[in-house]
Amino acid sequence: MSPDGRHRSLRRRRWLERFLDGWAIYRRNPLGWIGLGLLALFALMAAASFVPPLIDPMYHPMAGVDPEITSSMGPSLRHWLGTDFMGRDIFSQLLAGARVAFLVGISAAFMSVAVGTAVGITSGYLGGLADTLLMRLADMVMVMPALLVVLILAALFGQLNIWTVVLIIALFRWPGVARVIRAQTLTLKHRPFIEAVRVAGASHRRILLRHILPNVLPLSFLYMTFRVTSAIMIEAGLAFLGFGDSTTVSWGMMLQWVWKTGHMFKAPYWLLPPGLCISLITLAFYLLGQAMEEVLDPRLRKEEGGVG
Amino acid sequence: MGLWRYAARRLVQIAGLFYVILTVLFIVFRLAPGDPVERMVDPSMDPEDAEVLMAQLGLDRPVGVQYLYYLKNFVSGDMGISFHYGEPVAEIIADRLPNTVLLFTSSTILAAVVGVLLGKRASWSKGRSTDTVLTFSALATHTVFLPWLALLLIWLFAYRLGWFPITGMVSEDVWLDPGATWWTRAVDVAHHMVLPLASLFLIQFGTFLLVMRSSMLETLKEDYILTARAKGLPERVIRNHHAAPNAALPVLTTIGLSLAFSINGGAITETVFTWPGIGRELVLAVSQNDYPLAQASFLLIAAVVLLANLVVDLLYAVLDPRIRY
Repeated sequence: MSPDGRHRSLRRRRWLERFLDGWAIYRRNPLGWIGLGLLALFALMAAASFVPPLIDPMYHPMAGVDPEITSSMGPSLRHWLGTDFMGRDIFSQLLAGARVAFLVGISAAFMSVAVGTAVGITSGYLGGLADTLLMRLADMVMVMPALLVVLILAALFGQLNIWTVVLIIALFRWPGVARVIRAQTLTLKHRPFIEAVRVAGASHRRILLRHILPNVLPLSFLYMTFRVTSAIMIEAGLAFLGFGDSTTVSWGMMLQWVWKTGHMFKAPYWLLPPGLCISLITLAFYLLGQAMEEVLDPRLRKEEGGVG
Repeated sequence: MGLWRYAARRLVQIAGLFYVILTVLFIVFRLAPGDPVERMVDPSMDPEDAEVLMAQLGLDRPVGVQYLYYLKNFVSGDMGISFHYGEPVAEIIADRLPNTVLLFTSSTILAAVVGVLLGKRASWSKGRSTDTVLTFSALATHTVFLPWLALLLIWLFAYRLGWFPITGMVSEDVWLDPGATWWTRAVDVAHHMVLPLASLFLIQFGTFLLVMRSSMLETLKEDYILTARAKGLPERVIRNHHAAPNAALPVLTTIGLSLAFSINGGAITETVFTWPGIGRELVLAVSQNDYPLAQASFLLIAAVVLLANLVVDLLYAVLDPRIRY
């Protein structure tokens, strides 16, 4: 094995060890288990969303209409959660909504965390004018209410498709991550091992990518779970207000249909499921994040009780 | 004196930020597809009136001059004429702003006070069932989907139980009755406000509770708490006079940071409850392609967020003697 290859496999083993150590702490947290369990359930729903349209075209979440039903009906054997105002199956819509929620949540979170991490380490490592400018920019973006920004862009550019929404959410949700990563980079920058690498003649690029980035990545990953929550909420809010992508079924849009067609007082079977799903999936990611925070921050682990 | 200089510096910074937002909005309005003129002057307007309005907004001039007009008009409060209402945008905004401020500040203050009190309570009984119940309800209300919560509240308390009005801010019969006193009118508004206030309060208080709880747990590890215990002070005094005031400081920061989130929530709440505020006006303006009104509502909301952040920063500086500027 070449020296470089051995180095790589060592590194891989270290990552695995770190992961297993973390997992040992994570698994002791009951709330973390609830989060994981809920996520597994939603992942199952997302995977199952491909099945109903295969059984019968009327189960297609968007285009499928039950030929015998033209209005909203309560749950039955044929439609487990009933039908919406034009006879579409609510259960298949709910499954499709899980897919959209994951898609939006994870892709927006990934992008915003990638941008936030890049800005954070650059700003923290370079310092000086670049740092000031980037952080001022972060301050500005941070105070902008993302939902309303998307709204005003929807007004100007017309109907936004789901990927545009994802992109905008990502572009407005990075400053929080950038601040945390910058603070972490600042503390890393003056650690002896970084100084040692610098003395050994490593380039800035190498120091950043090989030595600082791996040390801030766990923190970025943690922030991703929190960003998933906010991305799902923003997309759902947008869809609820009637500015979602009209070619996809999301939970927010389902709620908008209940509300706008005036079914909220007479169709609880339609009002309850989508809202419950949005709330639970955000709760799940939140619990996941909290349990991970405990893994990454040893100070949170053995908190002694406040009572003396 | 240091505080005043700090306040002045922050004010200048915020004015700078607002100027950037103002400029970006101007550019975005010109970059968007379609005719920018049609976005500021109602296409269905009488041509002669339209010409007057265009001259007034500087839309017949080159873009650079348009920008100067835009700034000048903004400063003098002239934001064009709403397509939908046919009235000056500034008047509509001035009419809606107090309603938003009323709903929003009362819910934020209420949520902060209740969140701090309950967070203190939770930290004090850490590990016991009170703590678990409080923490879990904070988590649940923090992650609940706001419009859904609002709809459920309407369904239960307004529709099934009939305790509160379903939507709106005032009852017409009370406000059109010339004999009604200001007191009956105030009671009428309060009655309409209960449910929107409850929705906003519920999604906000959890954050405060969680922040207060963990900050309190941190504070209780400090040396001066140990000193207080060693002096033999009662636990109640330690908790309320030594720990809580210091632990409450991060809650202030949270108010500032979660403001953008709450503003989103405010727009949704106003829309669901048809509360006549700025957020609902923005949503309506966007769906009706009423560009001047959408632009002005957005700018106003941005200004409110920036100012609220300033207030939070200053409060922080006043309350925390360790911070010296």
